[in-house]
Amino acid sequence: MIQTKSKLVLYLLLILVPIVSVFHLFSGEISIDFSDFYRALFDFDKTNTNQIIFREFRIPRLLMGIIAGSGLSIAGLLMQTMFNNPLAGPYILGINSGSSLFVAFSIMSGIPFFISDFGTISSALIGAFIFGLIILAFSYIVKSHVSLLLIGIMLGSFTSAFVSILQSMSNPSELKLFTMWGMGSLQQVTLTQIPIILVFFILGIISCIFVIKPLNVLVLGENQAMMLGIHLKYVRLILISITAILTGLITAFCGPIAFVGLAVPNMVKLLLKTQSHGFLMVGCLLVGSLFLLVCDILIQLLETSVHIPINALTSLIGAPFVILIVLKRLA
Amino acid sequence: MITLQDIEIGYKTTLFSIENIQLKKGYVYALIGANGAGKTTFLQSLTGFNQSIKGEVVVSNKSIYTFSRFDKAKTISFVASKFDGIDYLKVIDYISLGRIPYTNALGRLTDYDKELVNESIRLLNLEVLSEKYTIEISDGERQLVAIARALTQQTEVIILDEPTAFLDYSNRKKVMETMKDIAIKLNKCIIISSHDLELCLESNTQLLVIHKERKAMILFDENTLTKEKLISIGF
Repeated sequence: MIQTKSKLVLYLLLILVPIVSVFHLFSGEISIDFSDFYRALFDFDKTNTNQIIFREFRIPRLLMGIIAGSGLSIAGLLMQTMFNNPLAGPYILGINSGSSLFVAFSIMSGIPFFISDFGTISSALIGAFIFGLIILAFSYIVKSHVSLLLIGIMLGSFTSAFVSILQSMSNPSELKLFTMWGMGSLQQVTLTQIPIILVFFILGIISCIFVIKPLNVLVLGENQAMMLGIHLKYVRLILISITAILTGLITAFCGPIAFVGLAVPNMVKLLLKTQSHGFLMVGCLLVGSLFLLVCDILIQLLETSVHIPINALTSLIGAPFVILIVLKRLA
Repeated sequence: MITLQDIEIGYKTTLFSIENIQLKKGYVYALIGANGAGKTTFLQSLTGFNQSIKGEVVVSNKSIYTFSRFDKAKTISFVASKFDGIDYLKVIDYISLGRIPYTNALGRLTDYDKELVNESIRLLNLEVLSEKYTIEISDGERQLVAIARALTQQTEVIILDEPTAFLDYSNRKKVMETMKDIAIKLNKCIIISSHDLELCLESNTQLLVIHKERKAMILFDENTLTKEKLISIGF
């Protein structure tokens, strides 16, 4: 199923994730020593600023980096296999924009329930799911890979225009809230929000275990998958649901993050050289986390001179990588 | 194995009818007909993915429509006319996918499954290819690999849709000979649609011909048709 060399790569990644995580925890403008970190976890002193920074900012930011990086990468992998298209991903297919639109609606509705965490997650999930279904419906009509991507991009443009109109009608405080959200950031999450995020994330990841088998067969194309006994309609709906949970959750708390879902699964396939989706998922979990954490470390290092939103940095790295993939395909 | 009795094949309108044909194990049936006569529709009706206009295909005394998804996949396997290969998918992993209808929810292969995979590889002499990627090998090799996948599926019926269309002469011959071998040795019912009249006649298979004027499918035993006769009936 997988070469020994690829297994070694996986082990290496597994070692790298905690190392980079530690780097991530200790990067940032204020330098903090290890003893404060230890005490923040096990012997928390509410009056110590450094410990508060660890507990309230750095740990949630680290966890969110891991969750967002791995979740978006896995969502991208699901979309790529489902649409048999290496350039698919939740962002380019417009699934993110579904979340954005619904979150914009809920923030600007002014209704307390919709502004609460649970309300925001719900609307982000519903938005992602509806847009997932829309793109699925289009995939029945257009057979060409490129056309489907174009439709996804158009869905994105359409919703961002719509969101701009909503913004122009909203009051300054709502506008600020939404603009901050739209730039994408890992640092808006607080420690109290982490449990609910973890519940949704783990739910999404565990569901993935049960789609490994159909995904491995879907690689052969829909007809062959059907002849091997795969219930296509059912499998597609599950894949869209998992993608909606992961994408919606992450979009709700971090804002839109581009290209991770597109680039990381391609990197993982390049590294592991397999189509066995169990391994690819593990690879996406690890590489996705690493990718976003490294991006976030870079952001923190540059913070003194320039503030880069995470969405901008992932695009800066991701977009050229996608062009590379396209060029490689043509060659 | 397969009973076709009083059936009308078509999509929306009837293309041709079948009075009474029995397809047995141990034989290769070559499906011959003009373009648009309904070869593909017929194959889809055999697999139950296209509803026949009248009557129903009966496989092992059961209507094809009553099969569950996995039962169907354990009874009928399908080889497409072309397999282009897939990035990062190895030959052995591709052949292993034939075991999918038998595996648990996680798709884990048992030792028995792995033994069957190796058996198919040995039977078709694909040992040297097994660790290669499916995009690195030739069209002819890929077609044999696809047949190995179908064998691994351990079905009594194997359907091949124009498997030789994209192959050169020696590979075409090889595929036909291999299928005849398999039909006899492993006692399988094999149906191959083909445009290659000479190859079918040369290989001495049973012929399922879609009669052009009578709009009916007729079964001819091996060696009972000449090329001229075949052309006059089917084209």
